[in-house]
Amino acid sequence: MLFRPDRQDFRLIGLYTARVIFGVGLAMLIPAAVAAAAREFNELFAFLIAASLAASAGRAGELALFTRAPLRTSHGLAAVALAWMTAPVFAAIPLLLSGHYASYLDAYFEAMSGFATIGLTLANDLDHMARSVNLWRHLMQFLGGQGIVVIVLSIFASGGVRVYSLYSGEGREEKVVPSVIRTARFIWRVALAYGVIGTLALWAALLAAGMSPVPGLYHAVNLFMAAFDTGGFAVQSSSVAFYRSAAVEAVLLPLMVAGAFSFALHYQLWQGRRSELYRNLETRTITVSIVGVLLIMLIGLARTGTFTELAPLFRHGFFQAIAAHTTTGLATVPGRLYVTDWGVLAPAMLVTAMAIGGMAGSTAGGIKGIRLGLIMKGLRRDIRRVLLPENAAVIETFHSTTRRVLSDDMVRAAATILLLWLALYFVGGMIGLFYGYNLQLALFESVSAASSGGLSVGLVRPDLEWPLKIIYIAQMMTGRLEFVAVFALAGYAVSVLRGRV
Amino acid sequence: MSAPTRLSPVPRWRVLGAIVVLVLAFAAMIWMVEQLRHPLPTDGPAVPELDVPASDPREEVVCEDPPPREGLQRQEPSAAELTEIAVIQSNQLYDCPQTHSERVVRYRGEVVGAVLRREHGVWVQLNDDVYARTLGPLPAHRDFRGGNAGVGVLLPHSVADEIRFVGGPRARGDVLEVVGVFHRVDPQTHEVSVIRAGQGELVVEGERFDDPILIDRLVAALILLALALGITAAERVRARRRTGGGRRLGMI
Repeated sequence: MLFRPDRQDFRLIGLYTARVIFGVGLAMLIPAAVAAAAREFNELFAFLIAASLAASAGRAGELALFTRAPLRTSHGLAAVALAWMTAPVFAAIPLLLSGHYASYLDAYFEAMSGFATIGLTLANDLDHMARSVNLWRHLMQFLGGQGIVVIVLSIFASGGVRVYSLYSGEGREEKVVPSVIRTARFIWRVALAYGVIGTLALWAALLAAGMSPVPGLYHAVNLFMAAFDTGGFAVQSSSVAFYRSAAVEAVLLPLMVAGAFSFALHYQLWQGRRSELYRNLETRTITVSIVGVLLIMLIGLARTGTFTELAPLFRHGFFQAIAAHTTTGLATVPGRLYVTDWGVLAPAMLVTAMAIGGMAGSTAGGIKGIRLGLIMKGLRRDIRRVLLPENAAVIETFHSTTRRVLSDDMVRAAATILLLWLALYFVGGMIGLFYGYNLQLALFESVSAASSGGLSVGLVRPDLEWPLKIIYIAQMMTGRLEFVAVFALAGYAVSVLRGRV
Repeated sequence: MSAPTRLSPVPRWRVLGAIVVLVLAFAAMIWMVEQLRHPLPTDGPAVPELDVPASDPREEVVCEDPPPREGLQRQEPSAAELTEIAVIQSNQLYDCPQTHSERVVRYRGEVVGAVLRREHGVWVQLNDDVYARTLGPLPAHRDFRGGNAGVGVLLPHSVADEIRFVGGPRARGDVLEVVGVFHRVDPQTHEVSVIRAGQGELVVEGERFDDPILIDRLVAALILLALALGITAAERVRARRRTGGGRRLGMI
């Protein structure tokens, strides 16, 4: 029987959403400070307006909805989905006021693309955008990649509270350490450690590429956030190709890969357990997948004659394969060339790589390596069952932090999520076809939006049809939250309409 | 563990009422933000009709020399084609890279981002979109025609020395006209779709431009900031009362 939500349900969902909105408001003070330093006064006012609106909404929610009632799983999941819908409402305000977006819908699209670490952009004339606004685009990727709810948890929460549902609602399946709060703080530590090392390495590479120190540092900070959080926005419209530097690309590669590692794997490596890298089912699956995608891509590029020498073939082929597989979306070649100069095999592999994505519990999107690994293991177990005598007990195990026995439930759950992902890709692709785009363009962009891949062949642009913008926004959010939180929120909506007293 | 006590459900009309209030608040916020956007330079519409149609990815581009399908050899351009100078735009280079590869092209665009000096030359990004060619940078107007378009160009040091303004926030970059060979893949640097320029000249000098302070935006920011501080202070006072005056850092 479906129960209609009571006052406490609405209070809890609204309260936690309000707290996240308040957190987003506070985060806007960072670009506001940059705007003040860069003497971008109109942008400073824009950030103050947006931050004030978010803070007012957040604190008003706290005043009106405060309760000590315990948070149940369904509340947490619905609150996460609602927070992810409403955070871009406020984050889009400084984007719209920057004068680089044609409409509020475009600014909202950009904000969702930022938080969900997609990298698709509707910015007009990006190359003349104010520094503070461009920083905000990248900062949104950092906040979204780490998990906006995780950030609020780690800054404001006290320990020992039932907030696991908030954490898991953001697409993270397992806690790194027993306490969610400590897990959130560990995620911060990892990001900061990579942040310092990655930014310094990028800065050095950018200086070597010919950039001056202050702009170089600005680009390095933004590039780090785009790469480590597998975001894909770039400071310049030509993305990474702008720097014309193999050294910059070489620094970005490990950052993208690190971003696609789960935080659980980072924790194991942090503890000195390097063997986890090659024993873990997910790292094995992702490695096999990357090698496969790369090989087929290189064969396609070589057969099309896109590259006739090995060095550029590997440089661009490898970078794009990693950028797609980690769902980062940074590019060393203009996206249009995927259609006009890369043949059909290589772009198909880019779509495949984006669709598979990175590791569960990372900043990357896509189906995730663990699910593919479990399904393959399940398939192997079934084949062995068929080949062995009927009374033979077939047990399949896999390693993920510890040795585990594969159960039917695990395979079923992985297969269900896989089907949901394929459906998500399919729906966006179909609607693209409905608007007259060819299959290659429609599927590429749909997978890119849903998986947080972020590579584009030019379909996503400011004059894109507005229904498609809305579809892509929905795909971005659903993909980033991996369905469950969105279903929980939809469930509440349905129970309001159809629930019995 | 006992099941949580269920309160009586919220009537549907109250849920609907709350949604209506939230939607109205959202609409009011968007209306206010729209009022605070950069003013239009003219009395025209916010997004004027395009005199140049925007490129639509649905339109099929027919190239003179399309790239072959997988497994077939690419055609090399003839000697006559290689020496003929073609006046070109970036979208033509990306639409038909094979057609223009290894040909001498004349290209004009605005220097944006940065000037990257290397031993073998100077890399610049030259944009030839409408913002570079005609309209000027945003947010000085409200003519939205999409993203930027441009090509990476490797300049000789002597040409790069002429550059005075680099396009970026509050700056319109110098417009250069270069003549050079377009490489689908540069044989020396391995960069993709670039022009290796032999010569170039500055045709339009760039400029810095001001973004005058918008007073209405300043006033709105101050009022909303005061409101936010007021609500935050009220919430803090309420929180202190709840915790009996103790310091309360955790919110969750």
